[in-house]
Amino acid sequence: MIDWSGLLDFIGFYLIPGLVTGCIYALGAIGVSLLFGILRFAHFAHGDVMTLGGYLALTVVWWLGWPVLAAIPFAAAATALVAVGLDRAFYKPFRRRPTIISVIASFGVMLMLRSAIQLIWGVEPMQYKAGIEPPLVFFDELRVQPRHIWMVGVTAALVLALHILLTRTRIGRAMRAVSDEPDLARVTGISTERVILVTWLLGGALAAIAGIFLGMDTKIDSYMGWDMLLPVFAAAILGGIGSPMGAAAGGLVLGLIEELSTYNWIGDDSLVSPDYKLGIAFAIMVALLIWRPTGLLRGRQF
Amino acid sequence: MTAPLLQATGLTGGYGGMDILQGVDLSLEAHEVAVIIGPNGAGKSTAMKALIGLIPLKSGNVLYAGEDITGQAPERLVGRGIAYVPQERNVFRTMTVEENLAMGAYLRRGDLGETLARVYALFPTLKDKRRQRAGELSGGQRQMVAIARALMIEPKLLLLDEPTVGLSPKVIGEIFERILAINAGGVGILMVEQNARAALAIAHRGYVLATGRNRFTDNAAALLANREVAEAFLGG
Repeated sequence: MIDWSGLLDFIGFYLIPGLVTGCIYALGAIGVSLLFGILRFAHFAHGDVMTLGGYLALTVVWWLGWPVLAAIPFAAAATALVAVGLDRAFYKPFRRRPTIISVIASFGVMLMLRSAIQLIWGVEPMQYKAGIEPPLVFFDELRVQPRHIWMVGVTAALVLALHILLTRTRIGRAMRAVSDEPDLARVTGISTERVILVTWLLGGALAAIAGIFLGMDTKIDSYMGWDMLLPVFAAAILGGIGSPMGAAAGGLVLGLIEELSTYNWIGDDSLVSPDYKLGIAFAIMVALLIWRPTGLLRGRQF
Repeated sequence: MTAPLLQATGLTGGYGGMDILQGVDLSLEAHEVAVIIGPNGAGKSTAMKALIGLIPLKSGNVLYAGEDITGQAPERLVGRGIAYVPQERNVFRTMTVEENLAMGAYLRRGDLGETLARVYALFPTLKDKRRQRAGELSGGQRQMVAIARALMIEPKLLLLDEPTVGLSPKVIGEIFERILAINAGGVGILMVEQNARAALAIAHRGYVLATGRNRFTDNAAALLANREVAEAFLGG
């Protein structure tokens, strides 16, 4: 006899939150992975780019009174432009230098971004919309937040679009070529700077959407992106850094593992206390770096 | 008389402060195959990279069909019909054979069908493997992908850096055969080769470089017959 009520509980309280977390990780990790593939450095300011996207959407929601989903394109576009600006100001001057210099620069950018956000929007946590949204109810018992359905759907559409971009379009193929062999790409006639520009636009936009989803799921806070940095990098490495589709899969897997690890698989208690949830990303990252630094899908060595 | 396809004079330069090239002269007629041989560190690969604009020249100049192309960026030179196959890392490993060929034609617009058919006719193996990732192919097949990729731009001048390094004698013969076929199709070829005898045997002219300078420059048959060259550079 199947315990239907227990199953619906499992779906509603573990599986769907796992998917949602996974989508947020995936969107962040795709950008980290793309940037690592093209520019060969770990962009540590990526979490704070996510935060910026969350706040820009908040501003649109406040000023225009739009629903947050309608604010996404504007916030994503604005964040993408900021990402390009950051590249021009802080990363491009170091392009021909050892990449460790860019990594350190990204630490600086991370602090600057966060401080700027705190100066503009303050340090108090905020929300897109006050009040509680009534959930959709399936099978009498399964309660699902409409925003969660949106988040999973939008992420799936974005990942599919990115896949088509990378495999079917001229610029997408050029991006993969530069990621594979930058010098060979140059002697094939590809303009590396154009590829870098598009990479920042994509990475910035996807990070913004991840930040908005994170804000929708919990609250908007100046440290929210920073808190995501570790799992986002763990997801990118899990999928094989430099491989954007791997990063998407890595994010999803990591989000699911995190949430599902708190389920009472053995006995009545949570397998892993929810307080230690974030430790799981850390453990996975350490294990990967020791035993399988190219990730599960054989990406580049981190 | 028309200008040679390629005429490089006094190439000087290298990486960082080191001048690996110390005044190298190279020239090639449109219908020719020319081979650069010489010991390791002679500057053969460096000369190729300097020609395609991957490393800057301190002095010297490069004429292409009579036009000065000194110091132009690689992506511009490709657009003018100069294709280059590096010695290593010369395919996009995670891309399929067909995607590699499409990348070769990155700067071209319009239908590639005709070029693609010609390239596949030259390398029939690649047609069978066109959906396979280039990184999964054997060394010889990868070299074919690399050369085929370079041909997709329909070059007038093809620069090959050690196209047979690490390959078995049988595959080396096959590659040389294809190089001759490409040349017969009207492409001037300048290549660096370690298999000096075999390469000179199919070439029109040869250059022997040593310590960044021209040691011998002659037609290929004369170099093969030259005792001094044979003893010092062709292994006796």
